[in-house]
Amino acid sequence: MMMYESLPHHYQYQEINRITLAHFAISGLCLLGALDRVDKDAVSDWVLSLQAHPSNKADLTNGEFYGFHGSPSSQLHPDDNGVLMHNGSNLASTYCALAILKAVGYNFANIDSKSILTSMRNLQQHDGSFMPIHFGAEKDLRFVYCAAAICFLLEDWSGMDRERAKAYILNCQSYDGGFGLTPGSESHGGGTYCAVASLRLMGFIEDNVLSKNTSSSIIDLPLLLSWCLQRQAADGGFQGRANKPSDTCYAFWIGSVLRMLGGYNLIDKEALRGFLLTCQSQYGGFGKCPGDLPDLYHSFYGYTAFSLLEEPGLNPLCAELGMTEFSALGI
Amino acid sequence: MESDEGDEQQQEAERLPLSQRPEWSDVTPIPQDDGPNPVVPIAYKPEFSETMSYFRAVYYSDERSSRSFQLTKEAICLNPGNYTVWHFRRQIIETLHTDLQDELAFVGRIAKSNSKNYQHHRRWVAEKLGTGAVNKELQFTKKMLSLDAKNYHAWSYRQWVLQALGGWEDELDYCQILLGEDIFNNSAWNQRYFVVTRSPLLGGLIAMRDSEVNFTIEAILGNPENESPWRYLRGLYKDDTESWINDPRISSVCLKVLSTKSNYVFALSTLLDLICHGFRPSEEFREAINALNTPDSGPLDSDLGRAICRVLECVDPLRCNYWLWRKSKLPLTVSSQ
Repeated sequence: MMMYESLPHHYQYQEINRITLAHFAISGLCLLGALDRVDKDAVSDWVLSLQAHPSNKADLTNGEFYGFHGSPSSQLHPDDNGVLMHNGSNLASTYCALAILKAVGYNFANIDSKSILTSMRNLQQHDGSFMPIHFGAEKDLRFVYCAAAICFLLEDWSGMDRERAKAYILNCQSYDGGFGLTPGSESHGGGTYCAVASLRLMGFIEDNVLSKNTSSSIIDLPLLLSWCLQRQAADGGFQGRANKPSDTCYAFWIGSVLRMLGGYNLIDKEALRGFLLTCQSQYGGFGKCPGDLPDLYHSFYGYTAFSLLEEPGLNPLCAELGMTEFSALGI
Repeated sequence: MESDEGDEQQQEAERLPLSQRPEWSDVTPIPQDDGPNPVVPIAYKPEFSETMSYFRAVYYSDERSSRSFQLTKEAICLNPGNYTVWHFRRQIIETLHTDLQDELAFVGRIAKSNSKNYQHHRRWVAEKLGTGAVNKELQFTKKMLSLDAKNYHAWSYRQWVLQALGGWEDELDYCQILLGEDIFNNSAWNQRYFVVTRSPLLGGLIAMRDSEVNFTIEAILGNPENESPWRYLRGLYKDDTESWINDPRISSVCLKVLSTKSNYVFALSTLLDLICHGFRPSEEFREAINALNTPDSGPLDSDLGRAICRVLECVDPLRCNYWLWRKSKLPLTVSSQ
């Protein structure tokens, strides 16, 4: 809660991603069942103030993306003719914005989805990947995930070419079963989450697929399962890659993959719980590793990890969207 | 955020506020408009707020001057994650034709203290320089990797350089060196796979497979508890399970490791996978497993697959549920081995 009210200056490096921090704080409170402490109207007003609006319909095909900014610092007021000169809105911020609006129960019918979805197509590349912003940046699975989550939340897939996105995702499956962030890169917990969650959201993997007796799957499922489970290390925590130290957040990234596939019960829950508790700080919240000071990112993922473990007092999680189930369902 | 010896850090220490610099006296800074009820407000340091306010002013007026260029440098040092600042810097570079080699040096310094966020910008500069930039870029990533041999961003950038600009000649050797320093470095194993499968100089996976299998087996025998070479070995036979189960070296390395009676978890799981894909183990395998003397209750299961699962439930208890599940999924055999 302390973090929600004010963040210390070390976070200024993350200024451009304020909305991401807000998502962690608000969705975190949601998991803890403490959303009543938040002024929902003020939050939705702030989030909506970050939306980039095209000045007219023609703008939607000018190559720019009209979504949400990460913070007021990337927004500039329109010039005297009402033209928004420089649009810094991006996919990741848009996903966070919609996640927050969902969490506070904002009526999505009031959002200008058309602009978001039409202009989003400008960000998809020929190989199926996505750029987060129109003036160029990294292209990798993180933004494919953001795109899929945005379409899912807006209940409209016109924002992306799902088949192409799927092809890109499949190219990211490594020889060891996990997924890297780009084709050829090392398999990684975050990349694997983005891959599987995107495929789930787009409808290419059925729910609880491991319990079904289908032997065919678009991805190498047995190898993926083996890779995911091998990520649980001797200390009970999950590592993001082979032969690396455990880190709180992978309990969410990898745990969620297992949950989505229907294999969460195959892990050693007690061992994981033990590890996570050593990462909990005396000030509340979680750090990356045992003994570390807490930060907003690891705290949020610490809570989501405990939600997956069905810890009493935490609301259930929708693994595909990284938010509480009841938010996702619009309850 | 660790302190570094770059001149950017020095500048910060000696920093004169922009409001006091004569060359900026004609500019009105644009403060951030957080609105009435900001969510997660950040308690900015004054130099951060001031720099960004001046940045907003020149960005808004699209002033592509050398003072703007200098300002983007300061803004980037304070917040390397800001896409907009990098983008404006590129626009200034295009307009002023500033030196691209200097730019690479600048990005290099930023990359040292902030190992994310520099990639796209660096890529843009390197593309402008073309194939002439290959050596420098490979050197740059090598430097980054000497600080952290598993730096994900450095590896993905290196892969881009190889694919876009070339320079594959020494890459397999480079992987060899890194694995020599740390055989557990999974990033280096991954890069090895990348080179073996994609290098235009090597002939492809099938041509390379034989020597790679031999290399990998040596690595396994040196450290059978190392997950990376086991995964790599399987990867060498991707999409060709038939060849995998028929290569006697695969089952042989499993047997060798089992015979040592230590660090045999991956040997067992590999053997299990082989059996599930049709490999028919000889009696030696059963004997080797018998000899393990694991604290298991009762005689060894007549079905070797089931026997392996039961051993794994004991010796890999973290994944006990998984081995139970694997056991339940084994095809029921009418006649046992």
